[in-house]
Amino acid sequence: MIGIHHYLVVSAALFSLGVLGVLTRRNAVNVLMGIELMLNSANVNLVAFSRYGAGNLQGQLFAVFVIVIAAAEVAVALAIVLTLYRLRRTPNLDEADILKG
Amino acid sequence: MTPEAVIFYAFAAITVGSAAVVVLARSLIYSAFALLFTFFGVAGLYVLLGADFLAATQLLIYVGGILVLLLFGVMLTHKIYELDLRSEVTQFLPGAIIGSGILVLLLVTAFRTQWRIGPGRPPQATTQEIGQQFLGPYLLPFEAASVLLLVALMGAAMIVRRRREA
Amino acid sequence: MNEVLQSMRLFRPELALTAALLLVVVVDSARPRGRDLINRLLTVAGLAGAAGLCLPLRGVSASLFSGMVVIDPLAIYFKVLLIGSSLLVVLIFTFRNSAELQGQGQGEFYALMLAVTLANVLMATANDLAMLYLALEMVSITSYVMVAYVKADRLPSEAARLSNEASLKYILFGAVSTGAMLYGLSLLYGLAGTTSLPLIRDYLAAGVSDANRLAVVLVTLLVLAGFGFKTAAVPFHFWCPDVYQGAPTPVTAFLSVAPKAAGFAIMLRFFFQGMAAGTGWELSGTLDWPQMLMLVSVATMTVGNVAALTQTNMKRLLAYSSIAHAGFIMMGLVALSANGARALMIYLLAYVFMNLGAFLVVTLVHAHEGSFDLRDYPGLYRRAPGLTVAMAIFLFSLMGIPPLVGFMGKLYVFAAVIEKGYFWFALAGALNAALAAYYYARVLKTMIIDAGNEEKPPLRLALPDAVWVAVLAAANVLPLLGWRWVESWAQASLSMIASR
Repeated sequence: MIGIHHYLVVSAALFSLGVLGVLTRRNAVNVLMGIELMLNSANVNLVAFSRYGAGNLQGQLFAVFVIVIAAAEVAVALAIVLTLYRLRRTPNLDEADILKG
Repeated sequence: MTPEAVIFYAFAAITVGSAAVVVLARSLIYSAFALLFTFFGVAGLYVLLGADFLAATQLLIYVGGILVLLLFGVMLTHKIYELDLRSEVTQFLPGAIIGSGILVLLLVTAFRTQWRIGPGRPPQATTQEIGQQFLGPYLLPFEAASVLLLVALMGAAMIVRRRREA
Repeated sequence: MNEVLQSMRLFRPELALTAALLLVVVVDSARPRGRDLINRLLTVAGLAGAAGLCLPLRGVSASLFSGMVVIDPLAIYFKVLLIGSSLLVVLIFTFRNSAELQGQGQGEFYALMLAVTLANVLMATANDLAMLYLALEMVSITSYVMVAYVKADRLPSEAARLSNEASLKYILFGAVSTGAMLYGLSLLYGLAGTTSLPLIRDYLAAGVSDANRLAVVLVTLLVLAGFGFKTAAVPFHFWCPDVYQGAPTPVTAFLSVAPKAAGFAIMLRFFFQGMAAGTGWELSGTLDWPQMLMLVSVATMTVGNVAALTQTNMKRLLAYSSIAHAGFIMMGLVALSANGARALMIYLLAYVFMNLGAFLVVTLVHAHEGSFDLRDYPGLYRRAPGLTVAMAIFLFSLMGIPPLVGFMGKLYVFAAVIEKGYFWFALAGALNAALAAYYYARVLKTMIIDAGNEEKPPLRLALPDAVWVAVLAAANVLPLLGWRWVESWAQASLSMIASR
């Protein structure tokens, strides 16, 4: 029988992979992909709890808003990355080094 | 194994496997396409969980919107004639250690905790109810989200637009 | 439907902000002649109107829109604070007196200011996890755009590069922090079975079983990641100096004040069990809150102050100073009492005036001198005596010297902490205040005593700028005259709605 724990394992794996991606990738677009993995993992949690837990739709509704926010965030992030590329001809984070620290 | 279990394991494998490819692949294009499969896998999981509206939304917005945006991002930030879209990895080991640590922590938490397991919600059509919620209790976030989208749209366009000649 | 209509009656400030936002967007798209002035007037009117509309709502306690947001005295206090800060920033910083913003499009800036104010207000009054996350992300996303505001001409300029790099760091760091927070919120939903904050508080107050303790701790840490990011607390402060330096200074000034205040508002709401005024504040959950928060507070203060000691870039110096002040504000949170909350609110109010003043002076010096570097500041006393005196007032206030408002803020937080018996903590705070005094004094010394730049002409401020400098300087001094009124307002705002 598939229960809540199955989904929690999936989301834990997704979240950890997302964190791994964020920490180890140099390309800004790759870091964004890692962030999307993190957001998806949280969404899986929300929907799974909605199904197996209290039985209300709040988790699913929350997840819809997360998707909306993720879309807005990616749009702005890519706009910034595009500008970085225009100014500097590279999307690599290591090259973004005028600001020390 | 029940059919449900088979389908679950299939989608879970697709999701987690693709996610691993996203994070570990050398080429940016491989990562992007693996991300596509991850999103599909998650949508499949949503269907298994009875969230049909959410699955459709996931496909429409994540695959049809966000992934396309990311692909544009990949394409626009590389020289067109450079086919080999490499992405370098910095210092893999510290990240891997932290990532594994987080994974262990999350798994331990997941299995130790007594989650609020209730009667649950057997899979059923959700679209109508979600619609009613959006125009009822969730009206304010719904409208606020629309303002957010307006502002994000305006903001992203403003950032990218070349300055008007004075 | 009825409930929606009833809620809207109490939602007027936010509706005013939204209406102003939409009007500004329309006007900007229509491109009539003089639209910049129209937009500015619309924004000022919208913000002033919203602030004004908050006043009749004092004393109201209600849950709006099916428990998504609330109105209570605490909410009104923060709403006025947040809208007021936005209004001040819009009035003080014009596109003329900020060299970084000159030449950039104005309409979007005003729209963004209105949007971020609306989002800040929603964040400070959110009563549901979904609304909280939505509002927090709305603040973040509009902030990212505002930081990226400076664009390049045909050739990339230094300011454009800085602005872009700052916004990139901001958005990546922010998205990761809020992503982690979201995971924590999802676990919280799993524990409590609901996304409504009052019900979650009830669930936590009923006691956490041993099996669930780990989950609650994890949730707290993850949620603190998000809140810590918004208030730039250690160890989520890494974005702060770079973003503050790279963003156009008016944006920096705004970021240092408003989102931080909203972050503290939501921390108050999230971590405290709501109680009516007079019966004291209890904490939800069963963790060792004071110790954890104390650690964060001391770390934040110390990191901020130590890093500021060696800064020569004024924006970075003020960035680290802001981080340190967040640590001081957190002392009010650590005290976990009504007095602590009141201290937090008073400190925030003082902080608005001192910080905006300091940033205004930095902006004006940059507009006239073209530099943010402290090494270009010597001799300012001779060239702009009034400005230097005002800066002295702001710096003394930041230091916490009586009889300025900064001192009052510190007084209250220290009193609240000592009242609870955390003497070592108070000592750490006092040491930090002394440490901070060093670098504030160094700025002042450079401006007044150091020799240099004698041959340069006197710095003439435009009349509006001079007026605002004077007003802010006065705002650091005058509240002392009517202090009882300020204190009673803060005290009366210590009531938080408890139920859904």
